[in-house]
Amino acid sequence: MERSLFRYIWRHSRRDQLIIFAVVLASLPFYFASLDLPRRIVNEAIQGRAFERGQETAPFLVLSVPWSEWLFGHRVELFGGFQVDRLTLLFGLSGLFLLLVLVNGAFKYWINVAKGALGERMLRRMRFELFSLTLRFTPEALRDVKASETATIIKDEVEPIGGFIGDAFTLPLFLGTQAATALIFILVQNLWLGLLAAAVVGVQFTIIPRLRRELLRLGKQRQLASRRLAGRVSEIVDGIEAVKVHNAHAWERAEIGQRLYELFDLRFRIYKRKFMVKFLNNLLAQLTPFFFYAVGGYFALRGQLDIGQLVAVIAAYRELPPPLKELIDWDQQRLDVQVKYDQVAQHFAPERLAPEPETEGEDDGPLVGQLAVRDLTARDLHGQALIDRASFALELPAHIALVGDGGPGASALARILARQTTEFAGEVRIGDRDVRELSRATAGRRMAYAGVEAILFPGTVRDNLVYGLRHRPLRSAAEDARQKARRLVEARRTGNPIENIADCWIDVSLAGAADEEELDLLLIDLLRRLGLKDDIYRWGLSGMVDPGRHPDLADQIIAARIRLRTRLAAADMADLVEPFDVERYNRQATVAENLLFGVPTSRALMGRNLAEHHVFREALDAEGLTADLARMGARIAETMIEIFRGLPPGHPLFEQFSFISAEELPDYEAILRRHARRRDGFKGQDLTRLLALPLAYIEPRHRLGLIEAPLEERLVKARRAVRDRLERSGDPGVEFYDVERVCAAAPLKDNLLFGRISHRTANAQVRVTEAITGVVEEMGLRPAIERVALDHQVGPAGRMLTAAQRASINLGRCLAKRPDIFILDGALAPFGETQRKDLLVSLLEASRGRTMVAVLSSDRESESFDVVLRVEDMRVVVGEPSGRRTSTDGAVQHGGSREKRVAGEVA
Amino acid sequence: MTLDTEVQSLRQVPMFREIDPARLKLLAFTSERVHFAAGQRFFSQGDAADAAYVILEGKANVSLDTPNGEITVAELGQNAIVGEMGILSDSPRSATVVAAQPTTALRIDKRVFLELLTQFPQMAMAVMREIAMRLERTNAQLARQSRS
Repeated sequence: MERSLFRYIWRHSRRDQLIIFAVVLASLPFYFASLDLPRRIVNEAIQGRAFERGQETAPFLVLSVPWSEWLFGHRVELFGGFQVDRLTLLFGLSGLFLLLVLVNGAFKYWINVAKGALGERMLRRMRFELFSLTLRFTPEALRDVKASETATIIKDEVEPIGGFIGDAFTLPLFLGTQAATALIFILVQNLWLGLLAAAVVGVQFTIIPRLRRELLRLGKQRQLASRRLAGRVSEIVDGIEAVKVHNAHAWERAEIGQRLYELFDLRFRIYKRKFMVKFLNNLLAQLTPFFFYAVGGYFALRGQLDIGQLVAVIAAYRELPPPLKELIDWDQQRLDVQVKYDQVAQHFAPERLAPEPETEGEDDGPLVGQLAVRDLTARDLHGQALIDRASFALELPAHIALVGDGGPGASALARILARQTTEFAGEVRIGDRDVRELSRATAGRRMAYAGVEAILFPGTVRDNLVYGLRHRPLRSAAEDARQKARRLVEARRTGNPIENIADCWIDVSLAGAADEEELDLLLIDLLRRLGLKDDIYRWGLSGMVDPGRHPDLADQIIAARIRLRTRLAAADMADLVEPFDVERYNRQATVAENLLFGVPTSRALMGRNLAEHHVFREALDAEGLTADLARMGARIAETMIEIFRGLPPGHPLFEQFSFISAEELPDYEAILRRHARRRDGFKGQDLTRLLALPLAYIEPRHRLGLIEAPLEERLVKARRAVRDRLERSGDPGVEFYDVERVCAAAPLKDNLLFGRISHRTANAQVRVTEAITGVVEEMGLRPAIERVALDHQVGPAGRMLTAAQRASINLGRCLAKRPDIFILDGALAPFGETQRKDLLVSLLEASRGRTMVAVLSSDRESESFDVVLRVEDMRVVVGEPSGRRTSTDGAVQHGGSREKRVAGEVA
Repeated sequence: MTLDTEVQSLRQVPMFREIDPARLKLLAFTSERVHFAAGQRFFSQGDAADAAYVILEGKANVSLDTPNGEITVAELGQNAIVGEMGILSDSPRSATVVAAQPTTALRIDKRVFLELLTQFPQMAMAVMREIAMRLERTNAQLARQSRS
């Protein structure tokens, strides 16, 4: 980043700054004219000075060359004007005034918009540049760079800089000119008074900035303190589990409290100082008129100064303080922003960044041939050698096991091969290329590294798997031509990338697929092999099917729905599922589901919110259900209070079973007490809260004996009314059930069932799930369901998955791009031993014909590999896998493997 | 049949006789009422013990797998409790229980049950008393057998 903010601004916005300044200058004559016009209206038209000498008409709209009298000695008129009478002159001048107001407004509008756009563009450029720098942080720097602090910088800290940029050059020039004009005017009127004014201004300009220096120091501290606060808060949020486990709430609270106190203290000191400076500034500004009155008045009384001159000087002086004040404010802002900029630049100091790659580089061929390592030495952070002058050579592709001696040496070698670290001495070559000099494109395309941490991004499973296939956009998405042109122009003006995120970025050919459908199948196959077979089936069943995107699957689901029904009936299991029927109450479903007869898509209709929804409530009122449901709610509340009273708040049984949370129990008790005599006439908030309870009620599950046949009938009748009203109110916010259509808001499994599983029959869940799987297999729906699973959301950082699932997806992402060299370094850690063995076999199978390097903890796992590199005692020894004795002389080998000491020589 | 009738049934179980009605209601509410068809298994010998059952209606047979095939050792009627030993001792099912006719039972989940025992000492005491009494009966039986 540029060291000086001003140079940075000037370099990137020179043209715009000059244009804005030019327009500001161009607007000045109009501005002055509008100031002068009121005087003319009053004097010439109203008081009639233009008609003083008795003439009937006066000229209007005279155009003359400015200062022509002074330049040429006589007035040069370009246009003599129209001769008009007094009334016309008044309206003419007033009209002119109105016109000038409009012109000035237009200028102002244009200038403000241009300044805003300039600031926003620079902000965009700066943010993007900072983000690009973030991507260049070296692994070493990343150890002490906090993610949230960087985010705060990019988001918040540069914001005021952006706001300032529009005014960076224009404002001081403009105000400076104004102030200088006023000062010169005073000087011309009276030299001594002028000098006096200039002296006070000089003092203002030297003392105030000095006083502000301390302010800047504090500002710097404040910025760092708030940045650290943001960092600390996000650390605590990330580690909230540890806080809970160790009950460190009080400690963390105290810590943040202390930080907030320090922040307050800093800010308070800044305020005190700021207003002190302001006070001084005002005092100095008021000092000048004091001198004018006292000194000027003294001279005037002594007759040494013309009173008219004094009045003119004082009048002119009134013009001086506003621009000065604004200039000083601008200066303050400038320093403030400069400090912010310096702090930001420091965060992205060059020593923290890796050198900028000159170009992306082109992919230049497969990584095969001889892997030659010469004199490789690597050290850890403390300078301890991990690998010492190791040399060896191997022919690639090969399946290489890296077996360590329990130390970090094997992993260090893996990281070097994977280009995860560049801090090593010696040489690593693959074929005729140095590993360090591989282009980013080659390394990204042809290498994959799976470390201990599986880094997933929020999004779907598919998004994460194809992450390594998105190197550049391949096909442009349809885009409105004008929109596109505008997007490109803006991107070019701000140094942003011109690629569109909506384009098709996924290079299916990298995965060896012909189209996206084939890619999906490949990915599913990969996931199955990585031990996620059951998971993806489950994800698929719990996934949503968008009939628009998967029309075939939607049709098949309807067919499967029918088949499942017949299958259940044939197996005498029909009573295990109660199907949705618009004419019948579904006893296994909640009251809310029965009333809506669909799945809510709008948050306002979900859960307890439904009780507050006015359209829904109107429908209940119209159907006369409100009082009954409220009474039902009261009964539920009564029972909950009775049976859960003894449990301490926060007890797991509360969460799992109670309709009412522990905190709400007293509220409901109060409601019941208010209506102790008669369980009727509930109103307002009480009514809403009681109505919320029966919405989740299922008779066979909760068994409070609250719903009987007549009520069921009324609820079914109300269903129609609810739907009508919701539909009439515009977007209903509910995806209604329809036996012939897929419900896009319900999971696939619910769509297959199209009903609710009985709560009454033992083992119903398991048996129905088996039946579903049977139908799915019969109809060959599994692949389609698994494709739905690719849309499963992984959550932020994959937190909605288990560690093992995350690890599997991480491996899948590495393998999906079919790298020439796949390096496995600890990615199998979350798995158990047997699973690890199976996975290793699958990974080797998936890397057939290509190189795979796996860091293993023991020799036992190395049997399926071609070659073993043993990292022992900082040396690297090439050997053969255990369990494969290839000695020709029949001698018994120690340690089960034959080793060739090659350290220190080229094998 | 509602929660209240289930509470009535629970009161007939010796283990629960002494317990507060509100607690029994909680026990019933947190349990599931399930229906077994004739011949349907509650659980099989060797399964992990995940729940206890109180028979509300119907009958069930307890049988053991022996080298000579399955033999029925007991018949359970209304208000009998079965499977409670397994969830207390955390051992696999020691016998198979099959519904002899259409049977309705209250399924008490193991986790919930243990949660209730930890929360309410009165319940834990009642269970302990029942187990101790069973042990005493077994001892007496053993003594009789060794005498004879």
